[in-house]
Amino acid sequence: MTRELSGPEVAALAEAAVPGSVAKTTETACYLKPEHLVQTLEALKTSPEADLVHLTNLCGVDFWDHMEVVYHIQSFVQNHIALFKVETWDREKPEVPSVTPVFHGAWMQENETYDLYGIKFPGHPNLYRILLWEGYPGWPLRKDFLSMPGGLQPGLGEFAGVAPRQEPPVKVIE
Amino acid sequence: MSIPVLALATDHWYDLRDLANISDAILDGADKVLPFGIVYVLAALIGFVASFLIFVLPSQLYLGVYGERKIIGRIQSRYGPNRVGPFGLLQPIADAVKLLTKEALTPKESDRAVMYVAPIIFVMPAVLIFAVIPFGPRMVFANVPVSLLYFMAISSLPVIATFMAGWSANNKYSLFGAMRIVAMAISYEVPLVMALLGAVVVTSGAPYAGDFLNGLALQDMVLWSREFHIWVVFVQPLALVIYFICVSAELNRTPTDIAEAESEIVAGYLTEYSGMKWGLFYGMDIGYALGASAFAATVFLGGWTFFGLEKWVPPWMIFIGKTHLFYFLFIWTRGTLPRLRSDQLMAFAWKFLLPLALFNIFLVATERMIWSSQDYAKGLIYVFAVVNIAVSIAAVYGWARFLGYRPENTPVRPRLVKNAGGYIPVGSEANR
Amino acid sequence: MTQTIKSEPFILNIGPQHPSTHGVFRIKATVDGEKVIEAEMVMGYLHRSMEKLAEERTYTQNIPFTDRTDYLSSMSNNLGYCLAVEKLASIEVPARGNAIRVIMSELQRLASHCMAIGAFANDTGAWQTPVMWAFREREKILDIFEVTSGARLTCNYMRIGGVAFDLRPQFEPMVRKVLNDFPPFLQEMEDLLSGNEIFLSRTRGVGVLSPEMATNASLSGPMLRGSGVAWDLRKADPYCGYEQYDFDIPIGYQGDSFDRFIVRLEEMRQSLHIIQQALDGLPSGPHSTQVPLALRPPKGEAYARIESPRGELGYYLVSDEGPAPYRFHIRPPSFINLSALREMTVGGTVADAIVVLGSIDIVVGEIDR
Repeated sequence: MTRELSGPEVAALAEAAVPGSVAKTTETACYLKPEHLVQTLEALKTSPEADLVHLTNLCGVDFWDHMEVVYHIQSFVQNHIALFKVETWDREKPEVPSVTPVFHGAWMQENETYDLYGIKFPGHPNLYRILLWEGYPGWPLRKDFLSMPGGLQPGLGEFAGVAPRQEPPVKVIE
Repeated sequence: MSIPVLALATDHWYDLRDLANISDAILDGADKVLPFGIVYVLAALIGFVASFLIFVLPSQLYLGVYGERKIIGRIQSRYGPNRVGPFGLLQPIADAVKLLTKEALTPKESDRAVMYVAPIIFVMPAVLIFAVIPFGPRMVFANVPVSLLYFMAISSLPVIATFMAGWSANNKYSLFGAMRIVAMAISYEVPLVMALLGAVVVTSGAPYAGDFLNGLALQDMVLWSREFHIWVVFVQPLALVIYFICVSAELNRTPTDIAEAESEIVAGYLTEYSGMKWGLFYGMDIGYALGASAFAATVFLGGWTFFGLEKWVPPWMIFIGKTHLFYFLFIWTRGTLPRLRSDQLMAFAWKFLLPLALFNIFLVATERMIWSSQDYAKGLIYVFAVVNIAVSIAAVYGWARFLGYRPENTPVRPRLVKNAGGYIPVGSEANR
Repeated sequence: MTQTIKSEPFILNIGPQHPSTHGVFRIKATVDGEKVIEAEMVMGYLHRSMEKLAEERTYTQNIPFTDRTDYLSSMSNNLGYCLAVEKLASIEVPARGNAIRVIMSELQRLASHCMAIGAFANDTGAWQTPVMWAFREREKILDIFEVTSGARLTCNYMRIGGVAFDLRPQFEPMVRKVLNDFPPFLQEMEDLLSGNEIFLSRTRGVGVLSPEMATNASLSGPMLRGSGVAWDLRKADPYCGYEQYDFDIPIGYQGDSFDRFIVRLEEMRQSLHIIQQALDGLPSGPHSTQVPLALRPPKGEAYARIESPRGELGYYLVSDEGPAPYRFHIRPPSFINLSALREMTVGGTVADAIVVLGSIDIVVGEIDR
């Protein structure tokens, strides 16, 4: 079985590699500081103990007030997988440093995240909208991008006959 | 120089074993009524119409279109055409009707005149090459003494048409196809001629009916196989193999169809053609393949002879049968083999086929010298046949090994490991 | 005095309407003669914004979407998504359900690899014959899917907590027939292609990927294994009880297109082996656990991945205790396998680029989602 490293374990590895790189830790994930992200992942990739060589998954998540970029990185030899996250709180100009110099596989996935979330990745060699076209209005996977016609709140409101979900923390500007 | 061909059959006009009888009867009758000279025009017309009716058209439609699709269908374990008419036999006609009624689009930016002329130029040589093919003892339309050279000259003309087609369409894929076909045709012309030279060396100058055979005339090559009771292919197996490969390259047949490589450059020089303009290219591609098969049947497979059977069975039927048999090879390779890359194809021509063709000429010239010093002994040619078959196989294998063909070093099964882990270098998988 | 002939590079569009791009995928190749000097991927022609749509449907309603991502291996996609939801909501699957899932996803692997090797051989120019032979065998598997789930291509068979229906009585004889028919077919393919000098010269040394590059570019599946990296999630991170079955991981030698091809062929053999074992030891019992239709997984996130025919297929789900996933992310293997396309094609010829693209085995529905 691939061992899923818990948040504190990953944080310990990251701290050992680059001191002061961890912003916070949850049960499953380790939040890295954006300014130390590339350096930390580079160090963890080369360190034989962590050996996090394979960036499996990279995606963004929108939490209304902030956005996160999620990195699943695994090791073949140690057979474990670590979950890193980076937060970005600027909704107008979200930026997370690109890990493309470390993992070539981030190239496509960062493009996709930029395309659908509008998160800029400084350091990416060729950041463009990979699935949609240049000039597409808005960033579709953000929660304030409405796709259901007539709907105010993205996501399924509620099952019939059940009280509605609470209002999102950020109001949608009509 | 023309050698009197021994009449195989009676010269009654109703003797269908040699259709020249009926043509002679018509011409004799016409000569009595028509003014002098017209009969020559009539002879040309009869030859054209007859060869078209008994050979080109049925073969093109029923071997080239229907047969090819049906046979490839069977190779690919499907039925092939079976909807139009019984067993799908009317499929070629339906195809033709569809092509005729389809709009022939011309791209806006293309060179319209050249694009229009290219299919026409492509068609003309296809008609001309059948002029020198001997269908029977007297059934050869133009028995020119250098018919082999004539054939070679005419059959390299369509390259110009294909280049015109590719260039004029103003399409990048078309341009790719055009460039590829020119490069390939030039490369493959060389081993092709070299291979045929071997056949010419064997046949020319051999005694026949008190005269000597002219190896450059196709009819004389047929007579050679009749005289010595052996086909040229047995004396020249290597030449036939080289001829087959070269001609399939020139005809753009898979595995060497790089000029219209469907998976790479869409349809090559035909990308922008549609309707009957495309249909002309398609039909005449089959025509050229038939011409090449007819040529191979004549030169290598003994033409209209079949070890005495030609006295009973109409020789033209034997000839058509051999042609279709050779054409089947084209279909077979098309249904089986992948395509070579263009640079590999060039390398194959220059590095593999050309040296082998030269070696073949060297071999056959030596034998020819021995043969003539032995006063053209009939038994000796069978010894040569056995020797040549053995030497050819050895030469092909040896030359391939010399060029680095090592099938035993090529693993065709992957390595197997039990457990997942990181990279496993080659050779260390046994302990995993 | 030498004079060099200069050629001018120009842009050749391979796709979106091209016989070899397996859908609407486009490579904008800058070519110098036949040589590719730059390759840029253009995609998104088939983008249907599935990740957004999935945020508006319940967990169960999302299963049919996963069929439409990788439409050549819908069973695997269903499975990956259901595993993610089960992980999120901590749902146990009964043994029979797991065995059926294994059989189905291995049958799907056979069907998908049939398509892959057939299309790959077609790209090298073997005119339709291998693809037709492969389709002949694939048809039998699709018939099994039709009998079991009612659909041939978009099966929608897996459910959260198990599978939708139990197996039909005619299922087992049909699978036994496939198990009988496949080894001769694989031998046939090997005779036709692996032993063919033209095929070898077209694919050997074309699109070579070093193991470092393959790892760094996040490749997975046969692409990674072709480069010699022994990594198979069925072994490394077993799901659905794969640890009970005995099978091997095929790995390649030098990471060229031919290695990927033989790895796929061998994977089909191993799949047959797995199906044999799973079918022989098919447990009885319920095929599915009862899961409420209005499933509300607890707050949290889950990343579940499976070894789909194309590589590591991951589903990343974030739940906010709502009836629909808060975030639904697919980690599409053929999308990420394309990250190495430029490295593999640049420097080769146009014909090589087609072969490399064929060896990646892309499905555009999955790339664009």
